[in-house]
Amino acid sequence: MAVFDTPEEAFGALRPVCVQLTKTQTVENVEHLQAQLQAVSDSALQELQQYILFPLRFTLKTPGPKRERLIQSVVECLTFVLSSTCVKEQVLLQELFSEISACLYSPKSQKPAAVSEELKLAVIQGLSTLMHSAYGDILLAFYEPSILPRLGFAVSLLLDLAEQEKSKQIKIAALKCLQVLLFQCDCQDHPRSLDELEQKQLGDLFASFLPGISMALARVITGDFKQGHGIIVSSLKTFYKTVSFIMADEQLERISKVQPKPAVEHRVAELMVHREAKWVKNTSDKLTILIKKIIECVSGHPHWKVRLALIELVEALLLKCSQSLVGSAGPLLKALVGLVNDESPEVQAQCSKVLRHFADQKVVVGNRAFADILSENLHSLATSLPRLMSSQDDQGKFSTLSLLLGYLKLLGPRVNFVLNSVTHLQRLSKALIQVLELDVTDIKVVEERCWNSGPLGASETAATQPRSPMQRRYFRFFTDERLFLLLQQVCQLLGFYGDVYLLIDHFMELYRESVVYRKQAAMILNELVAGAAGLEVENLHENHIKTSTEELREIVTSILEEYTSQENWYLTTCIESEEVGEELTMKQSGLQAITSGAHTCQVTSFPAFSKPSPTICSMNSNIWQICIQLEGIGRFAYALGKDFRLLLMTALYPVLEKAGDQTLLISQAATSAMMDICHTCGYYSLQHLINQNSDYLVNGISLNLRHLSLHPHTPKVLEVMLWNSDASLLPLVADVVQDVLATLDQFYDKRAASFVGVLHALLAALAQWFPDTDDLRQLQGESAGEAGSHLSQRPAASEKGLENTTTAEDMELFLLNYLKEKDVADGNVSDFDNEEEEQSDPPKVDESDTGPDVEPPLPVQIQIATDVMERCIHMLSDKNLKIRLKVLDVLNLCVVVLQSHKNQLLPLAHRAWPPLVHRLTNDDPLVVLRAFKKKLNYQTFLSSVLPWQCAVTRPGAVSAGLTYPRRQVWRLSEKPVLQRHPAKAGWLLSHPSSCQCPGWPGILPHAGFQAAAGCSAGPGPPLRETGPR
Amino acid sequence: MEKMTAPPPNMAASPLPPPDPCFVLRGAQSAVHALHFFGGAQGQVHPLLLSGSLSGLVHIWSLQTRRAVATLDGHGGQCVTWLQTLPQGRQLLSQGRDLKLCLWDLAEGRNTVVDSVPLESMGFCRSSILAGGQERWMLAMPGRGNDEVQILEMPSKTSVCTLKPEADAKPGMPMCLELWQADSSPRPLLLAGYEDGSVALWDVSERKVCSRVACHTEPVMGFDFDSQKARGVSGSAEKALAVWSLDEQQALQVCRTHELTNPGIADVKIRPDRKILATAGWDHRVRVFHWRTMKPLAVLSFHSATIHCVAFATDGLLAAGSGDQRISIWSLYPISTDSSTPLLGHTEGGEVGAHASA
Repeated sequence: MAVFDTPEEAFGALRPVCVQLTKTQTVENVEHLQAQLQAVSDSALQELQQYILFPLRFTLKTPGPKRERLIQSVVECLTFVLSSTCVKEQVLLQELFSEISACLYSPKSQKPAAVSEELKLAVIQGLSTLMHSAYGDILLAFYEPSILPRLGFAVSLLLDLAEQEKSKQIKIAALKCLQVLLFQCDCQDHPRSLDELEQKQLGDLFASFLPGISMALARVITGDFKQGHGIIVSSLKTFYKTVSFIMADEQLERISKVQPKPAVEHRVAELMVHREAKWVKNTSDKLTILIKKIIECVSGHPHWKVRLALIELVEALLLKCSQSLVGSAGPLLKALVGLVNDESPEVQAQCSKVLRHFADQKVVVGNRAFADILSENLHSLATSLPRLMSSQDDQGKFSTLSLLLGYLKLLGPRVNFVLNSVTHLQRLSKALIQVLELDVTDIKVVEERCWNSGPLGASETAATQPRSPMQRRYFRFFTDERLFLLLQQVCQLLGFYGDVYLLIDHFMELYRESVVYRKQAAMILNELVAGAAGLEVENLHENHIKTSTEELREIVTSILEEYTSQENWYLTTCIESEEVGEELTMKQSGLQAITSGAHTCQVTSFPAFSKPSPTICSMNSNIWQICIQLEGIGRFAYALGKDFRLLLMTALYPVLEKAGDQTLLISQAATSAMMDICHTCGYYSLQHLINQNSDYLVNGISLNLRHLSLHPHTPKVLEVMLWNSDASLLPLVADVVQDVLATLDQFYDKRAASFVGVLHALLAALAQWFPDTDDLRQLQGESAGEAGSHLSQRPAASEKGLENTTTAEDMELFLLNYLKEKDVADGNVSDFDNEEEEQSDPPKVDESDTGPDVEPPLPVQIQIATDVMERCIHMLSDKNLKIRLKVLDVLNLCVVVLQSHKNQLLPLAHRAWPPLVHRLTNDDPLVVLRAFKKKLNYQTFLSSVLPWQCAVTRPGAVSAGLTYPRRQVWRLSEKPVLQRHPAKAGWLLSHPSSCQCPGWPGILPHAGFQAAAGCSAGPGPPLRETGPR
Repeated sequence: MEKMTAPPPNMAASPLPPPDPCFVLRGAQSAVHALHFFGGAQGQVHPLLLSGSLSGLVHIWSLQTRRAVATLDGHGGQCVTWLQTLPQGRQLLSQGRDLKLCLWDLAEGRNTVVDSVPLESMGFCRSSILAGGQERWMLAMPGRGNDEVQILEMPSKTSVCTLKPEADAKPGMPMCLELWQADSSPRPLLLAGYEDGSVALWDVSERKVCSRVACHTEPVMGFDFDSQKARGVSGSAEKALAVWSLDEQQALQVCRTHELTNPGIADVKIRPDRKILATAGWDHRVRVFHWRTMKPLAVLSFHSATIHCVAFATDGLLAAGSGDQRISIWSLYPISTDSSTPLLGHTEGGEVGAHASA
């Protein structure tokens, strides 16, 4: 298409078309003109603007009915011209403005004429384009009071369109156009920077429309939900832009008290508004009503863009009209604050941004009125919170709590105004306590048990895990997980901004007040401390001073003291009789005991204690309380960081005590609390933590042992500690072990069960820490000859047996030994006697070593083992089967530890023999089995030491005879031989059939195998004829 | 323990259970023979406790972390019998059975021997110092002769004099010493307990015995003197405590004796506020008495071996060191102005009094 660059060329081309249009006004002609215009350059068009506009305006002005189609095309053509040119004359602007807006005028009604939607859209576009095409100064001049009626017409027209039309497009276009008209367009080419005076003039002018605009827009906004979010967003924008412009504090400040005489005719002057104080007050009141309605309607709008627009609205109004719209500040802030935890991340981000901005600008804190409003809101929220928490559903609770959170965020340190009021603090705490009530009906919590004794969470290393996840808990009044997070945040913020001492005191009081509040109060206390330390809190108020570490430590110390006090830490979590039974079975599991059988038969054998048994609910509640307190300790560790090390001396002991608890949940919570401590205090693992702080633990243990009736779990801690430590612990525990033994002597009857557990852990630890005795034995065995050497393997095997592992070497050894045995059995005994003589040497060396007068001090572990063995001898005849079994295990370990110290071992073994024999002859099958193993163990050691042999075995020989309970297996006369001849002992024991008993077929083959493996002797012919005489 | 609900079975008759130690320091690894609290007064919140052991080590314990922060090894494995810090600077004197008195510099984390004084007596007698904050100070220690006490001026180590009892007195070896100065006169005085059970007051500048009184029939093992009330208390191997006083004429006289259940007191200390005193008993017990009335207040039983020494901190904390290698720390009748107790245990002191059965 040809392009006409110069006005002359263009004129030549356009003239005929224009003339044609002036003559006959038809759609075709207009279209013809528009087609020609396409080819004209913008500069040429500008020159010919007036000329071209003439036929178009003429067409519009021609009186008489016109076809809509024609008007529409004329307006479109006008719009086209205006979009490419500038309007430079004010008169032209005014005339065009009225001509275009008149297109939709209907003389009959107030409403816009009932014309086609296309026409309406064209007119709106036209107006918008016109306002954009006007020169800046021309445009400003346009907005003079005299234009008021015409402008008013256009505004009401547009509002009508926005409100009444069905088409979304028209509505949005109308709202856009309205913004343009009101100078609030946000497009680039619109003149924006107005000076203060210009702003004031425009404001004065637009003030007349404010009621109309605001009401109409409010109707649109609060109208049909289904109208689409675009319209609402657009209306909200228009609303806040208009209101914030007209009601801007900046402008209102400058309004003089007396209205200046307007230089316009009376009719127009009546329309003018003077924005003096009274008007502002009235308008603000009315706007407040509208704003409330809008917020009410929009804050819950399903579309996030609408809520985002609401935030913009709040921001604009609060920033610009904080004084004029002071009455709306409350609802506005509430709206903002309520969106802090919006589900849409965009809204949330924007909301926090605005809040931060407010805080930076001190919009709230710097402004007394705002702060007062916020405090008042918080006051009233606190007042109604208990009611809301009990009546609302999860969603309702969520928004209420979001609101609360927002207030706290916004008020920051000023939160104390509310907290300082006793009634409000009470209400607030009551609501929190109420909503945090746990559901304690779950029986699983009480049921679940952990059975493992031994090193704690050995597989986990603390360093890799940032924070242990919280245990899932169930609340009575809500199920939504988010609510709990929200509550946590609320408490943290309270702790962060509020007066920590006041809050802690208050909740501590509640904690003490009733068991009903205790768990909730503890949860709140935990979060308060975390908050006070600034964990997970974003600070909106820069000058807020955090609680100092020193203060925090004091607080934590006092809370810890309360948590771990006798009445809050030692709660019934399981039924007592069960506890005793379980405790025992639990400790056995480390050994190869047949736990399942023992378990089932034991539960009933304990008569129920006379105490009324606690209900499941109360036990569940107690479990949770302990868990929450444990979790708190973990939180405190995080709050204090490395400083928590100083508190370990009081905190670690109770935590460790709970780590050994049988209730799964508690032991888990304790373990995770310990992990937290590891992590914050810089320990690599739980073992490291325990090891490094064993002095603190030992202190607690030794002091508590003095009051065993009050601290019945003390042995348990020692046990856990022993399982998790190494030899470096020994010097520290040495004196405690003596204390334990002394206490045991006092309480043989009552607490033997728990002490035997400790002794077992202790001896197992000693056996593990000082394995060098094995090497010693090895050497001895070598010197003593082959026959002895295979027996000296026994301790190693027995230790391995503890872990239930049989290695290839073991098997190999077994076979080799078997072959040797066989060799000997075949009559190849010539050197056997020699060996036996050699065997008798070591004891002599031993005696000369020790010397007659100066005995070297015994190693601590030997001393301990000796002392323990002494006790075991007494306890072998305990009434309780469990204890008897356990004692036999301990005895076994004692022998392992003492194996290289014959001077200590043998006299003790001698004393232990009679009760052991007693066990073998008339006791429960289980005990017999265990005792049987024990005896084996003795034999292996005793047999290598001839001088002692007789002394040890003779008492046995004197007694009537060692008989098996139901079936005689061997005669006692064989026994001395048995001891001299390990090979024979091996033979006897390796015949499962020889100890088969009809009562327990399932057990004995197993025992037989173990015996054989332990003794590493194979089946062979009887050796009576080859044995020494 | 305020939270006790039921008394332990064996104490059922008494209204209050015996107090427990606040905590126990472990790890000395041999019998503890000397204790001394250090710091705490000069703005340092948590005082240190020094302990000397049979194996010749001096342990420095932090009472805040309840752990040994340093170990000083300067006596060649011989028992450390006496520890004392100097008022100015962070200097420590330790006396060992290796016949050496070591002066340690502990400032700024150092722990080195800066000086040492040779001892010439093998006895168990603990030395004593008189230091008023000046550069020069006085040291009294057992001398060369069997019954002599030697006075040195420090830090120059110049011998001032040797105090030797008159030939006919025959008091035996000095067992314990205390240098002091009356407020009224600048003349240094020395109190010495002797092997024959007597306590003598020496005027150091005149080198003569002012007064001497027989308090015990067995050697004096330890005493402490309250210079304000001019009253002292001594313990010996026998079954009694002796309280004696000093009149204006500087004459010692026994006021009273207090019978004990078991014989043997290794050490006696009066608390700095002069309200109570504590004794270290060979019967494994610490006994606490009211200092003015000598009313028995408490019997602290925790140790499982002879107690060798007791010490009081300025804030009232009591430490006892024993042959069972442990040091027990007790908080009794806390001094009211004290505000740093929370870490050091509960304020239970007011309740311990009722059950004393010494």
